[in-house]
Amino acid sequence: MSYPVLIKSAAPRSALGGGKTRAQGDRSFLAKSVILMLCFVLVATIMFSLAAGASDASIVSLVGALFTGIDSPADALSLRDRIIIYDIRLPRVILGALIGASLAVSGAVMQGLFRNPLADPGIVGVSAGAGLGAVSMIVLGGTFLAPLIALFGFYALPLAAFFGALAFTLILYRVATRRGQTSIATMLLAGIALGAMAGAYMGVLVYIADDRQLRDLTFWGLGSLAGANWVKIAAAGPFIVSALLISPFLARGLNGLALGEAAASHLGIPVQRFKRIAIVVVAGATGASVAVSGGIGFVGVVVPHLLRLMIGPDHRYLLPAAALLGASLLLLADAVSRTIVAPSELPIGIVTAAVGAPFFLWILLRRRGILDL
Amino acid sequence: MIEVSDISVSLGKKKIVENASFNAEAAQFTVIVGPNGSGKTTLMRALSGDLPFTGRIAINGFAINRLKLWQMAAMRAILPQSTQLSFPFTVREIVKLGLISGRSGAARREAEDLPDEALALVDLAGFGGRFYQELSGGEQQRVQLARVLCQVWHPLLDGQPRFLFLDEPVSSLDIKHQLIIMQIARAFAKRGGGVIAILHDLNLTAMYADRVVVMHGGRIDSVGTPAEVLTDERIQRVYECALKVGALPATQVPFILPQSAAL
Repeated sequence: MSYPVLIKSAAPRSALGGGKTRAQGDRSFLAKSVILMLCFVLVATIMFSLAAGASDASIVSLVGALFTGIDSPADALSLRDRIIIYDIRLPRVILGALIGASLAVSGAVMQGLFRNPLADPGIVGVSAGAGLGAVSMIVLGGTFLAPLIALFGFYALPLAAFFGALAFTLILYRVATRRGQTSIATMLLAGIALGAMAGAYMGVLVYIADDRQLRDLTFWGLGSLAGANWVKIAAAGPFIVSALLISPFLARGLNGLALGEAAASHLGIPVQRFKRIAIVVVAGATGASVAVSGGIGFVGVVVPHLLRLMIGPDHRYLLPAAALLGASLLLLADAVSRTIVAPSELPIGIVTAAVGAPFFLWILLRRRGILDL
Repeated sequence: MIEVSDISVSLGKKKIVENASFNAEAAQFTVIVGPNGSGKTTLMRALSGDLPFTGRIAINGFAINRLKLWQMAAMRAILPQSTQLSFPFTVREIVKLGLISGRSGAARREAEDLPDEALALVDLAGFGGRFYQELSGGEQQRVQLARVLCQVWHPLLDGQPRFLFLDEPVSSLDIKHQLIIMQIARAFAKRGGGVIAILHDLNLTAMYADRVVVMHGGRIDSVGTPAEVLTDERIQRVYECALKVGALPATQVPFILPQSAAL
């Protein structure tokens, strides 16, 4: 059906919608191809991470071990190698992939929610909130929070981090968003204030911590996958996996939200309910990641930004691609952190910050015009 | 039909719209005019369901505060004054967002090409691959109109008329594109849909509107055809400006009226 138009437009209308050629500006095929490619990249990265390390357990014997299982008589793999792979490398790789995916996806969701490519849980204080929750649980777990630990077991730490992250995200949203519009300046300044606040409270908690707790805190705070084990996966996994599984359902709403809250609701998106779900997803993924690995910065801002440059900001493709690329990049960063100062290892947070912070500055440089406050 | 019965809207403590009542029929182009600050945009935001109000607003007999957002999205589409984006969407991706509500009324095969057809309609054929943020303000406004048209592509759905709400749709456009947009609105009404637009241009209003709603100081001053409503007395009173309808300027002063395009 066409509209009668008295004034003819100069542009020809014949080039439209013909045959199988993809329409201009339609990047969905490109996005799907990139996602498929990222699947292969992730598989390759996982194999590489399982094989790389101080021990020489090889990739061939490793694959054999994966198929035959630990109890079968496999000559190719010694008991020592099996222990290295099943109890050290495998949990570390799984945890690294989960956390990388969760950091990248929570970054992408938060950026979509705030309509701002700089909104990363690490930068705007949400990770600090999660950290405050985790530190409170570590230090006060022996005192009045003890019933919580008795009740929730190893879930107590990620739960505390989750509620810390949730509280800080809600505060941030309330402060930075007014009548459906988010102020970039207010958001970043509120993030600084929240970070400082969390830092101060954590300082007090560190001050009253005993020696054993201090040791726990130090290991936790370095931002590392070094302590990965199956218990940590069991504790953080459910939060991260739920967040990752819910995120695709947010894609349509995040796309609509790019037009602003009013326009999104005019398109039929239940904006208020949608925002609440998105905030819980961000808090869950960030809280669980921070609880088991401390602060690993910049994955959440670098990965979505790179992908938007490659495949565009359509969240239906951006979110799965971010999960895949985030997982791969964090595994690579972990491989670097394990090998660069071998036989010792560097906390992974140092690696991601060393690469991510200059990248963040580069984004700022490119977007200065838009960001002028 | 859109029925507005005795609605009042307050922002904070200030009453912006008071006791407004009018009907906007399907198959008609209704234009809201009035000076700055007379409550036009606030009225439209209430119609859109963005602001709380007292009184009753109904679309096709359904009170809008009883409708779900997705139900309203199938009945009407809204063009905002301007839309800023913070992510690098292409023009086509933006137009395609109009299909989110899922009730364009177009068949599945037709829907594939809808963004391109809508872009051609607003004279932006071939712009699909450009980045929205790189376009001029007027081009961005037309991209948004293409998106809004996708949302309610067929003016009738299940036998019910659908509506376009346009808030100053031609404010940043050159004269050619002003006329194109007005013709799109007119054609939408001709095919059975309803259009409500806020306009500042009284000449375009006189040329295209079926009915004119004049707002003044938060109240509805009058409703009627352009010939009934656009009188010397009313325009002088509402706009506080000594204007005469139909007075020609001195012979040496050029004047260009949109009506001349149709001649």
